[in-house]
Amino acid sequence: MVRSKGLGVAVASVLIGGGVLALAGFALASATPHQTALQCVESTTKAHTCSLTLATYPDSLEGVHGSSGGPHPDWVTYSNDNIDVPANTTVDVTINQYDTGGEPNNPAFLDVIGTNGGFDTVNGVKTTHVTGQIGHTWTLHAIPGNGKYLWISIPLPADNASKMPVKLGIGAYPKPEVVKFSFTTGGAAVYEWNCEFPCGGSRLGNGFGEAMSSFGYMSGTLTVQ
Amino acid sequence: MATSSKSSLRLFFWTWGILTVVFVLIGIFIPHRYMPGVMSNDANLALTTTILFTICAAPVAAGVYAGAIHILKHHRYRGDDVPPAAPPIRENTKLLVTWLTASTVLTVFVLVWGLGALAAENSTSGNPLVVDVTGQQWVWTFSYPGTQVVSNELYVPDNREVEFRVTSEDVTHGFWVVNFGVQVDANPGVWTTIHTTPDKLGTIEIRCEQFCGLNHAFMDAIGHVVTPKQFSAWLASQPARV
Repeated sequence: MVRSKGLGVAVASVLIGGGVLALAGFALASATPHQTALQCVESTTKAHTCSLTLATYPDSLEGVHGSSGGPHPDWVTYSNDNIDVPANTTVDVTINQYDTGGEPNNPAFLDVIGTNGGFDTVNGVKTTHVTGQIGHTWTLHAIPGNGKYLWISIPLPADNASKMPVKLGIGAYPKPEVVKFSFTTGGAAVYEWNCEFPCGGSRLGNGFGEAMSSFGYMSGTLTVQ
Repeated sequence: MATSSKSSLRLFFWTWGILTVVFVLIGIFIPHRYMPGVMSNDANLALTTTILFTICAAPVAAGVYAGAIHILKHHRYRGDDVPPAAPPIRENTKLLVTWLTASTVLTVFVLVWGLGALAAENSTSGNPLVVDVTGQQWVWTFSYPGTQVVSNELYVPDNREVEFRVTSEDVTHGFWVVNFGVQVDANPGVWTTIHTTPDKLGTIEIRCEQFCGLNHAFMDAIGHVVTPKQFSAWLASQPARV
């Protein structure tokens, strides 16, 4: 009798402990900040084609963080993090690059990789390789285990047109570098993208901290559905 | 009483023998199924070592489990009160000598084998293909010294030794070529090297195995082991860097 009671207590403890852990996991997952995914706008004139417009800003006073800039108004950011695109579709992407830049730390990210035709256009000029300073990159790759390999890397030249604006904030950005490219999606899958230029702050001084190491700024997912 | 003791001891040895056979069979047949595809001499060595060490460990593990089963079956205390003190264990010279000898032989064998395997992994043929590997949050890039080629995919020819020179642009990453059975840390400002010789054509998986930040879980790349001719053609097809 005593033994069966002890066994019951042990089983109940394990079940309750598991339940508490599961609840904590759900609570943590729910607490992760989510942004509404940017939807690819389907073309009314071309079949199986849609368009996306993204932007990179030198601060967080524009884009999804709101006019207050959210918790880190001085962090660089992309306009959106999570993106939804349809399957088996040509995606025309425009990125308005409003940020300054610097010398790349890894020359591999000066090349345009994985786009339709193997090029992009920068302010209307066809480009396969950026020389000089870059502000950011938009680098997309597969998530391990999803079985679908995709690699796209777009160097975004530094916005040298007017350097940094005197005043940051809505409407105060300089004229952007306009980068356009297209790629074609396959079947349903989730990919991860992030910036590969060390544009975030860091106590280590390597630029891969802060905005580069936080969700919702310089990284996100691309969901093909 | 003596008959019962003999019978239980016989059961112990039978259990030991059966479990040893089961564990040896597991060692022979299971690692092939659950280890990643073996595509290099080092991965072959790792697989052989895993099988051999499992076989060596089989009688030891089986002895422990058989002993545990024997004790639970024949020497379990069933009373509700505190059990009386157990009789002191008397020395059994035969058992002691057998146990110590077997343990020594096994551990010395695995030590010698392990040192030999380590030496084999560190050996080099003197004419390796050098590939510079750079990790940065959260991608790998591969460049080929003496050429202008930089790629996000790894290409290597089969049956030629490859020397990976590995570094990082930011934090510490772990360069792990899963199918080659080799891994080495990628440290910022430092070049670490590791050698291997691919021996099977196909696609390989490369992962980061040091927690390196937000998207560490997504830091992987693919590679290809191709014929020397295909490798030369691939190198030639890559765009020249300005």
